[in-house]
Amino acid sequence: QNLKCVTHNLRKMACTWDVSSRRRHGQSDFCYTTNDLPPPVCFKTKEKRVEIPVPESSTTVTITTNSISGTAIATKQFEIHSADISFVPLTPRILSLTPDFSTSTLNLKWSDNGSAFPYGLDAFWQIQILRKEAKEKVTQVTYYSKMTHEDVILSWNWTSDMPLECTSHYVKIRCYINVTQFVGPKDWSDWSPVKEVPGKDTEPNGSGVFPQDTVVAVGSDVTFCCVHEEGQQIERMSYGSKVYPLIRLSSRSSAIRVLNASASDTSGTNVVCRLSEDEMDGTVLFVGYAPDVPQNLSCETSNFLIIKCTWKPGRPSGLYGKRGTNYSLFERISGKNVSCEVNEMNRERVCGFPVLADQKTYHFILGVSNPIGQTQSSLLVDLTQRVHPKTPEKLTVSGNSSTSVHLHWFINGSFAEIRLLCQIEISSGHSEQKMHNISMPGGKFSTYTAQLNTLHPYTKYQFRVRCSAADHFWRWSDWSRVEEHTTLEA
Amino acid sequence: DSHIQYERVGADVTMKCGSMDWDAAVTWTANGTDIDESHLNGSYLILKNVDLTRSGQYSCYEGSSWHLKYQTYLRVGTPPKEPVLMCRSNNYPKGFYCSWHLPTPTYIPNSFNISVIHGTKEMVCEKDIYPKNRCHIRYLQLFSTVKYKVTLTVTNALGKNSTTLTFDEVAIVKPDPPESVVAKPVPNNPRRLEVSWQNPSSWPDPESFPLKFFLRYRPLILDQWQHVELSDGTSHTITDAYAGKEYIIQVAAKDNDIGTWSDWSVAVHATPWTEEPKHLTTEAQITDTTSASTSSFMPPPTTKICDKGAVVGS
Amino acid sequence: MAAADSPSAALRRRDLCSRGIRLAGKMRSDVIDLLDTYVERQGLDASASVVTVEGVPVAAVERWDEQTGTQRLLENLTAYRAFRVLLAQMLEEHREQLGDADTGLGRALAAVLLQVSAFAYHLEELLRLESRGPPSEEGTAPPPVPHLGLFERKLRGLGVLRELAQWAVRSARDLRQLTKPSPGSSSAPSWAESP
Repeated sequence: QNLKCVTHNLRKMACTWDVSSRRRHGQSDFCYTTNDLPPPVCFKTKEKRVEIPVPESSTTVTITTNSISGTAIATKQFEIHSADISFVPLTPRILSLTPDFSTSTLNLKWSDNGSAFPYGLDAFWQIQILRKEAKEKVTQVTYYSKMTHEDVILSWNWTSDMPLECTSHYVKIRCYINVTQFVGPKDWSDWSPVKEVPGKDTEPNGSGVFPQDTVVAVGSDVTFCCVHEEGQQIERMSYGSKVYPLIRLSSRSSAIRVLNASASDTSGTNVVCRLSEDEMDGTVLFVGYAPDVPQNLSCETSNFLIIKCTWKPGRPSGLYGKRGTNYSLFERISGKNVSCEVNEMNRERVCGFPVLADQKTYHFILGVSNPIGQTQSSLLVDLTQRVHPKTPEKLTVSGNSSTSVHLHWFINGSFAEIRLLCQIEISSGHSEQKMHNISMPGGKFSTYTAQLNTLHPYTKYQFRVRCSAADHFWRWSDWSRVEEHTTLEA
Repeated sequence: DSHIQYERVGADVTMKCGSMDWDAAVTWTANGTDIDESHLNGSYLILKNVDLTRSGQYSCYEGSSWHLKYQTYLRVGTPPKEPVLMCRSNNYPKGFYCSWHLPTPTYIPNSFNISVIHGTKEMVCEKDIYPKNRCHIRYLQLFSTVKYKVTLTVTNALGKNSTTLTFDEVAIVKPDPPESVVAKPVPNNPRRLEVSWQNPSSWPDPESFPLKFFLRYRPLILDQWQHVELSDGTSHTITDAYAGKEYIIQVAAKDNDIGTWSDWSVAVHATPWTEEPKHLTTEAQITDTTSASTSSFMPPPTTKICDKGAVVGS
Repeated sequence: MAAADSPSAALRRRDLCSRGIRLAGKMRSDVIDLLDTYVERQGLDASASVVTVEGVPVAAVERWDEQTGTQRLLENLTAYRAFRVLLAQMLEEHREQLGDADTGLGRALAAVLLQVSAFAYHLEELLRLESRGPPSEEGTAPPPVPHLGLFERKLRGLGVLRELAQWAVRSARDLRQLTKPSPGSSSAPSWAESP
């Protein structure tokens, strides 16, 4: 009675049945016809289970139950139609379950056993994550794939809401294959055996508070756990100065859940697990922001040797030291990359990039990253239009005339490729200041001279000078020191 | 059978007359006085909401033969409240003592047990003969950062309670007040007073463990104290005293490096030296114009004030 | 046994001892201030009891009053040399963890490190007055920094500073013992014998 046939691969099916008589019985004679075409195939079986081909339409089965001595007790014939045959995929086989403790992520790999099925079938995989000693279900996910008539290794990641060290995590999987042309009932496979990632609470020296010294974004929800020795009691767990209710995970592990974490101090926020007998364990959480897009990125050169880029960092990340924000300057045209030494406490940031031979235009990409995120800002500049000369030095005034003088000054830098525009400010006690502009070819670490005429004899003058790029004005240099000179008597 | 029975204040107490049946005729006495029938339920004695006055000897006699069948001494009291424990080192670095008391009496006998743990080591707390509620511990180690944990448990027939103190070695160091405080006027200096004192005798090694001192003084007519801290030496000259005004002076001590200040010493009084008024008769001149006294030795009115100004306060 | 003391050596030692006592007192108050800053900046609980930290010289000592003068100086010198290394490690770690963010704590750490180095040198000076002189430091490589989590490192730092504060008290007491005339003698004994 109750003859049932189940196929796992659409080709073979396993048929099972019951025997109602209470008399002891021996082997059975099992005969079946393939697609109702004679002759029947017969064989003896001790089991009440046989494996025979899946018929295209139907098959007739005759089962004769014999006594111990071999005499027939009962014979029954069954008509099995395709619609009567159930399709239950084989239990999936987990190939690997790999934890990444740093990201609390589990990576599951399994074979889809696709070679056993026609191309293009839809397959659904139910994956269950279990946790704690009681193997409580944490989540169940359905993963979809398409069969390719080849055995494909499927991979799936899951990020836990708590560190994997806290307690053992278990994964099991089952599948459902939508064989559209299969007319019989289709069902989920059995669950695979559970695959375990043991927690630290199963290791002899696994004590500690987890996650260890991690960085999260402001507003994150974070679960911390305290793994301790057998027999020890957790008196309390605190995050910063606040004590949190304990969530028991196992006899050696309890957790707390911190919601919407706010920015931490420079040294991070301590998570302290206070155990009996005055023992204490802990970890530190750094809560900050991803770096802001750098604002007002600007690059210029003062000497055609180094390009100095400056920017405003925007909102502070709240992360410092080795968790602070890293800046790098990448120049797309040359492909050259420079990492920047930046003092986190300065409002303005500065980074130097070498002037490259024979390159006038620079396409800078300022890359900004910290453990929480990254961003960038870019700037395309023609260097000749971003000249901000250094302060003119060693200004000297000479002249042995009553109405003219010669000025000499030095500018540190190589301006051979551009013309300079310099402005001389002339002031003397009683008359108002005059400005005298003079343009000249730039030089390489040169001294520049200018002559001023139409001065008043026997008059004490103060001179100072500043310069900029003549063709594409960008910014004046600072004024030089003031130099005094008295013209000769007429 | 006779024994002590402890009951809480406010409790309802039922006493059976030994092995006598409930309906047996009996007589109950309290401290020899017959108890009124209203307190009996058959042969049982019922005492409702007992208070302290109910303590006493209760006896039960068989009705006719007056044979004593049962006797007990009832003690009404309370379970102990959390005891008050204090530990202090006034003889550093020799050791420290702990003393305790109950915030409210229990009216019944209590027993105290004290345990002193330093790190993982249990230390012996030697009980003082007097006062009873005190014991002292010898420092086995000095300069330790490991805390001391003192737990006092008090038990009586009605309950048990305990308290625990955790402290650092240095935190409980508090010397006794300075002794032999003397304040003297300085002849011909109407604004000066010379104060001297001694290290408390309980402080064992002032050389290696020097004390520093805190002097406070004020004229009796003012409330505001003036203070001066002295890092060594056991004397000081006040140079800004109001002429002719009687001063009250006290001194406190503290270890130079650790612990807390002692209580103030006994107060001494002194008045700075004053000029002799010229027109007064010879007799007046004999009387010394300086007077010094100490409040704790505030002599009764009839006694003559010690005339040479040197008054000892200890 | 130390050579009998010439008057100038005794005077020199008394001077070094009294200056050492003042230096220890100043160091202690600076360490106490640093401890308060450290506890606050590291978000620690001031009452946290720190189990004895490996590699940190423990100030606690039994039968302190029975130690000889030389013993006192040698134990002090060993301790302050170790603290010099420990504080330098803490300073390096501070820069790595906080960069420029907390220069106040960094400066305070550096200041105490300077005082510890000065005090170690002072002890070496005192030991030079002895015939044997201070033990050399060659071959005593600093203990490797144990691999600890950040919280454990914070606690370790707390343990270092607490022990240093206790050592500063002990050093002042030790130096006072050295200047104490032993019963029956006018000047301070040479240290081999002085308890």
